[in-house]
Amino acid sequence: MLTEQEQFERIAMPHLAALLRVARRLASEPASAEDLVQETMLLAWRGFQGFEPGTNVRAWLFRILFNAFYGEGRRAQRAQEWMSQRPASHSPASTVVDAKVQEAVEIAEALQALATEQRSVLLLCVVEGFTCQEAAGILNVPIGTVMSRLSRARQELRTRLAPLAKEAYR
Amino acid sequence: MTDDELDQRVRASILSEELDTAPLERSIRARMSKRWMPRWAVAMAAGLALIVAGGFAYRQLFGSRTPPVCVAAARDHSTEVANGLPREWLSDVPAIQSLAVKHGIPAEAITALHATGYRLERGRLCFLKNEIFLHLVYTKGDEVFSVYLRRRDPEKGFGPSIRETSFDTEELAYFQTNRLTAVFVDEQSKEEALAFARAGLNSFTVAAL
Repeated sequence: MLTEQEQFERIAMPHLAALLRVARRLASEPASAEDLVQETMLLAWRGFQGFEPGTNVRAWLFRILFNAFYGEGRRAQRAQEWMSQRPASHSPASTVVDAKVQEAVEIAEALQALATEQRSVLLLCVVEGFTCQEAAGILNVPIGTVMSRLSRARQELRTRLAPLAKEAYR
Repeated sequence: MTDDELDQRVRASILSEELDTAPLERSIRARMSKRWMPRWAVAMAAGLALIVAGGFAYRQLFGSRTPPVCVAAARDHSTEVANGLPREWLSDVPAIQSLAVKHGIPAEAITALHATGYRLERGRLCFLKNEIFLHLVYTKGDEVFSVYLRRRDPEKGFGPSIRETSFDTEELAYFQTNRLTAVFVDEQSKEEALAFARAGLNSFTVAAL
């Protein structure tokens, strides 16, 4: 017979990497991302009694993560952190030896340049594989909003990554 | 670049990143089980445990096991809802939310409870043990529930676990989250009160309340 904590760990811990991956692209620095994931997991653990077994635990955890991120009081602080954050400089002179590394840097910068709302939708739908309907539930917005944010995010990324695409297809 | 090509590049780039979650996992497990404590904290915890045990023994011998605020909530539900005393209630959700915010309860709490599938009928402020609570009346089918909300009060002494109790004919379930104290009351059915409290706790959890 598993204890409640063991049950929680068994169903929630496998999603830690996915939560951290998304948190790192929401928060301004790795330490804030880890704090956000810790906060999410502890909130989930405290509210585990209310979790309905058999429902989508991954979507449940991501909802908590995004609500914690957008939570009252933190919104302004995180926005400020975000504003003060300088994207990693990437000049032509930088010594990038590997094309894949260069592409990863370009994509990371293009992602960070997106508005948080667009980035959130892109991370959920494109990277984490949630449907638009599921992303709408996680972000607590209508599905139409998710679809339009996703479309705008793709358009923006495409513009920013266009030089890279030319390189790739040259 | 098509949408599929773009998605594939972004996905491949992000998923190729190596993440070491082991330290984070260890830290979460430690905070969940709270196994690690410095000596002074152990001594303090032991002292606290003695006080709590003493208080518990006192309550077992001389007091009611139902927290006073729950007794007050059961009485209020019986008077105001079951017996339907004529009172002024608000039925407009934004007006109820605005009333909540004035008293330190986040408006999201009302939205979160709405997501449980129970129907909000009306709301008003009330006093339970000289403290202001937001009294909300919900229905589901023929069942009528009262939910009493107040911002978290550490002195209440109840935590995130849902507890149940009864007083007269009222069945109650109650808990505290990081930000809220919540008491759910239903006449007759303990299961219904617990089910609503579980749904409420889940909604508050996902809303990070």
